[in-house]
Amino acid sequence: MKRRTAIKQFLIIAGGIAILPACSNDAKKASIALQYLNIDADQEMLLAELVEAIIPKGDSKGAKDLNLHLFVLKMIDDCHPEEEQKKFMEGLKEMDVLSQKRYNTIFVSTAPEEKQELLHAIQSEDQDTAKVAEFYRLTKRRTIQGFMNSKYVMTDLKKYELVPGRYNGYFPVTKDLS
Amino acid sequence: MDIFRLLKTLVKKKDKMPNLNIDSVKDRTFDAIVIGSGISGGWAAKEFTEKGLKTLLLERGRDVKHIVDYPTTNLYPYEFTHRGEIPLKIQNENPIVNRCYAFHEDAMHFFVKDNEHPYVQEKPFDWIRGYQVGGKSLLWARQTQRWSDYDFEGPARDGFAVDWPIRYQDIAPWYSYVEKFAGISGHADGLKELPDGEFLPAYPLNAVEDYFKGVMKKKYNGTRHVISARCAHLSKPNAIHMEQGRVQCQNRTLCQRGCPFGGYFSSNASTIPWAQKTGNLTLRPHSVVHSILYDESKGKAIGVKVIDTQKKEEIEFYAKVIFVNAAAFNSNLILLNSKSNRFPNGLGNDSGLLGKYVAFHNYSARISAEYDGLKEFKTDGRNPAGGGYIPRFRNVFKQETDFLRGYAAGFSAYRGSDSDMSATGLELKEQLLNPKLGPWRVGSHMMGETIPKAASTLTLDENQKDEWGIPLLKINIDYDDNDVKMKADYIEQLTEMFTEAGFTNIKPNTASQAPGLDIHEMGGVRMGKDPKTSLLNKWNQLHHCPNVFVTDGACMTSTSTQNPSLTYMAFSARAVDYAVKELRKNNL
Repeated sequence: MKRRTAIKQFLIIAGGIAILPACSNDAKKASIALQYLNIDADQEMLLAELVEAIIPKGDSKGAKDLNLHLFVLKMIDDCHPEEEQKKFMEGLKEMDVLSQKRYNTIFVSTAPEEKQELLHAIQSEDQDTAKVAEFYRLTKRRTIQGFMNSKYVMTDLKKYELVPGRYNGYFPVTKDLS
Repeated sequence: MDIFRLLKTLVKKKDKMPNLNIDSVKDRTFDAIVIGSGISGGWAAKEFTEKGLKTLLLERGRDVKHIVDYPTTNLYPYEFTHRGEIPLKIQNENPIVNRCYAFHEDAMHFFVKDNEHPYVQEKPFDWIRGYQVGGKSLLWARQTQRWSDYDFEGPARDGFAVDWPIRYQDIAPWYSYVEKFAGISGHADGLKELPDGEFLPAYPLNAVEDYFKGVMKKKYNGTRHVISARCAHLSKPNAIHMEQGRVQCQNRTLCQRGCPFGGYFSSNASTIPWAQKTGNLTLRPHSVVHSILYDESKGKAIGVKVIDTQKKEEIEFYAKVIFVNAAAFNSNLILLNSKSNRFPNGLGNDSGLLGKYVAFHNYSARISAEYDGLKEFKTDGRNPAGGGYIPRFRNVFKQETDFLRGYAAGFSAYRGSDSDMSATGLELKEQLLNPKLGPWRVGSHMMGETIPKAASTLTLDENQKDEWGIPLLKINIDYDDNDVKMKADYIEQLTEMFTEAGFTNIKPNTASQAPGLDIHEMGGVRMGKDPKTSLLNKWNQLHHCPNVFVTDGACMTSTSTQNPSLTYMAFSARAVDYAVKELRKNNL
């Protein structure tokens, strides 16, 4: 048991799953072990701010609290083809260029309203955002997936039932408050 | 072991022991050998051991103990590293099994990876396999329907393959026998073309499935039925199920992970532990059967040659009777590879038909739509039966189309939530956490009968062998013109039926798939009346080697449209009953 506990402390919990931390203690490197993506600490922070802008903290936890930026990285690293990983990296690098151009500052330093404005611009395919479009699409999709399938959402906000023990094919909608 | 006894045995049996193993021949001799521990082999083992026969159950894969070896069974979605998705590297390494609908992170350990047992595709065939104790009974879709005489009489009436040597009345009592033990949920619908069974309560249709049923009944004057899917789930267990240590299905629908409740039927939850309780079962995993040993002087099979995949050595086992239940294509492979002076082309293969007339189920079309009505209802909980079933309605009582036979269809309706994901920030979060109910969505998939043909073959590759020195299987099977016409008819009819029900946004999906993904491959060792045109007699016994029986999918003379596992179970129990009676009469 002691060994288990020790291992647990070394794992990073992202949305409920444990991810192996990076071997290196280099502060400039990403905090989780990745096979293909080469992410530095600044990029990791940018991604954390981006997922938080997509699903922010409010009355309940936001994406950053749930380490969803690490979940996004893990999924892009393990589940996407090389060309998408490339576009992801290109877009990630382009985010600060875009932010500088629009707000004269890097993305993490922009105000919350500016972040939302930028996200809307990307989604409405403004001309100068084309280079980040694919990166943003992938990040948003994986952020939503990580959020909805996080332990926090599945236990505290919307109960996932492992063992329903019932089926009703005529469940009245009026009774349903979800 | 006593060294003197060992020496004595070795001296005495030396001539019969090509592989000097520490076990004596006596220790490797059983009353019965069953090859394969999947759905049919599990049944054969249960029946033999219950009847008091010392039985060796051989399994080529590893052991999977009920509950103990279901590592993912109680995991929450967020406990899977990739939330159920298979990492791309594994997908790329396994293009075949990756196409299987159930190959996800939660059950991937129960599937054979592409490189584990290669085969030759003369034409594309996705061969989906489960090499472990319990085989694919852990993974199956659990749909169980009886055949009727409209199925058994198909080949004779429509002039293909050969006539089945049995009729419904021959197998009906055995359907009852296996249904009572396995636990089959269903409704007694009173249909001639889909006989009722020994049912536990059915999982009822939901609001839209019921509605569709009503519309179909009216529109087609009671000739097209939508019934509760019949399935191997314990909706309400009886004493016999409790005795197996199984309890009521808890509607998890996570069946492919293995069920800790034993809520659905599998060899692991049911027949194997039952056989073990008799004290007559020896279960031997990691045992790939190379071939069946034939003794010319005795005129029968005497045992099997096995490769122990852990010790990497050959070992022989002996028995009076051998059941081949390795799953349809592997049963063919074993028989084809069992060559002797008497049978140079494979065991029992005087007719030259071994490995021919293989077939499958045509699953190559689906259709989906939406329904705007009945918005006052949704579903709550989960339905392990999966919804409704449309029994075959084409060419049942007489030939009426320009293609032979017909198709059954799945039909289910579901109401999910529609989340608008276009927003960002708090607005998006609000939408995600409070999704709006969407419309009802409905879907159907076809399960078409295919015609077994001489040109559809399984053969052994003359050059390539697997890591155990067994020739690779060459699979040569494809869709034909009949399948193409039937598929078009399915789309046409279902479109009409959906339109009639007022469904909208009807979307046929005819994106084809290679044969094999139906996981209903059948035939190659077909049953028949005449030894010249078939391999097995009406008791699933090789015409020319009567102490060898084949009761898995390989025995199928035709495929009909029903999900086949229930029929394999019934064949297995029936054949064991016959074999044991014959053994007692000294006829084997």
